[in-house]
Amino acid sequence: MSEEHKQPLQSSLRVQELIYGLRISEVMTSKVFAVSRNCTMRDVQTIMKNNSITGVPVVDSKRVVGIVTMNDLMNALEQGAMEQNVTRWMVGEVQTLAEDMPLSFAISAFGKFSFRQFPVVNKKNELTGILTFRNINHALIRELSRQLRQMEQQSEQPVEPASLNLSKVYQLHRYDFENGGKASSEIKKFLKERGVPPKLVRRVAVASYELEINLVAHSIGGMLGFDINENRVKISSHDRGPGIEDTEKALTQGYSTANEWIRSQGFGAGMGLPNVKRVSDEFAIESAVGMGTMVQSIIYLKSEKENENQ
Amino acid sequence: MELQRIAYALDAELICGPDDWEKINIETVFASDLMSDVLMSDRDEMLMVTSLSTEQSIRSAGIVGSEAIVIANDKTVTEGMIELAKDQDIALFCTRHPKFESCVRLGRIMEV
Ligand SMILES: Nc1ncnc2c1ncn2[C@@H]1O[C@H](COP(=O)(O)OP(=O)(O)O)[C@@H](O)[C@H]1O
Ligand SMILES: [Mg+2]
Repeated sequence: MSEEHKQPLQSSLRVQELIYGLRISEVMTSKVFAVSRNCTMRDVQTIMKNNSITGVPVVDSKRVVGIVTMNDLMNALEQGAMEQNVTRWMVGEVQTLAEDMPLSFAISAFGKFSFRQFPVVNKKNELTGILTFRNINHALIRELSRQLRQMEQQSEQPVEPASLNLSKVYQLHRYDFENGGKASSEIKKFLKERGVPPKLVRRVAVASYELEINLVAHSIGGMLGFDINENRVKISSHDRGPGIEDTEKALTQGYSTANEWIRSQGFGAGMGLPNVKRVSDEFAIESAVGMGTMVQSIIYLKSEKENENQ
Repeated sequence: MELQRIAYALDAELICGPDDWEKINIETVFASDLMSDVLMSDRDEMLMVTSLSTEQSIRSAGIVGSEAIVIANDKTVTEGMIELAKDQDIALFCTRHPKFESCVRLGRIMEV
């Protein structure tokens, strides 16, 4: 199981991590062109042409009930049915995305389904935007230039050796148990050398270690990012599948879907996520089946009082 | 209790360890083959006894502050494990006794 995995450049991993962590709502196009059930295919054609778009959602009191794509339009055109109702030609079962999902889930969705756009909905299931691959490319370029700017600034001002500031991303591969744990070892060392109290170092190590192992044991692979300053350590785990059906259940002690082989490695007691939650000051998990899982753990390095006084 | 006495009671063989390992003081012991159980502990577990002979055992022991680890059941210890143990200044032993027997022997010489 020990294939050699080369770690990509830190800067490219960081851009990827930043992209993964963005919310869909931050990236999508909010100005959506939608039609209602009683519109015609001709109406859709006009909208597509005037705005150079390739998909138009069909809504009924803000709920998405279908989508008309370029393909549907061509079919209607071929049949000379442009004056017919959109409901005759639209695709009825639409895969939507939730606006507060991390972008990594959307990237998985693009990979999994062959759609060119996804309608985006809010908690009330109302249409709030549309996400195309172009949106993702724009976000990528934005983050790339931000990263470059940051690197330029950093090279101008040398970092103090004792500084607690660090941002680092590790890539983890499925079933690569040999490397699972390297990230937490390195971070542990980093914090210890800078005089962070052992109790806090231990909490960071436990959280990151369990998350690393989960990426290796349960995901198709993913990344673990650390964002450290003198106030807190922020650990984020991103992967793009297979996702967790019931995150509530996954957080109960003893719940595990680990197979025999994972168990033979000493894992699969179902205590990992509960452990992460226990040692975290702030904890969040989000998951969607087929799209991925994101876990975030924040551990304060200063007591909350000190944080407030700043 | 000095680590030397523990090693003797377990018929444990030292694989690697810091120069003065004999004098390391051991007050707490944790025995498990489940890594998350180890990581759930709140106190410093100075000695870890496990029959799981993997690099992850050494990593887990390191996280909970172990100064020594005994691999039970005559399991083979890999190069990677030795390296990790050295890196974290952990004394690494192995013993031919199974985990339960090792714990019984420990119980005889230590008050639990
Ligand atoms: N990154 C992930 N991707 C998919 N499923 C996950 C992920 N992390 C955790 N899980 C699911 O949650 C369950 C509980 O995780 P955890 O508490 O760490 O226990 P364990 O790893 O011992 O199974 C796992 O068995 C798995 O089904
Ligand atoms: Mg786990």
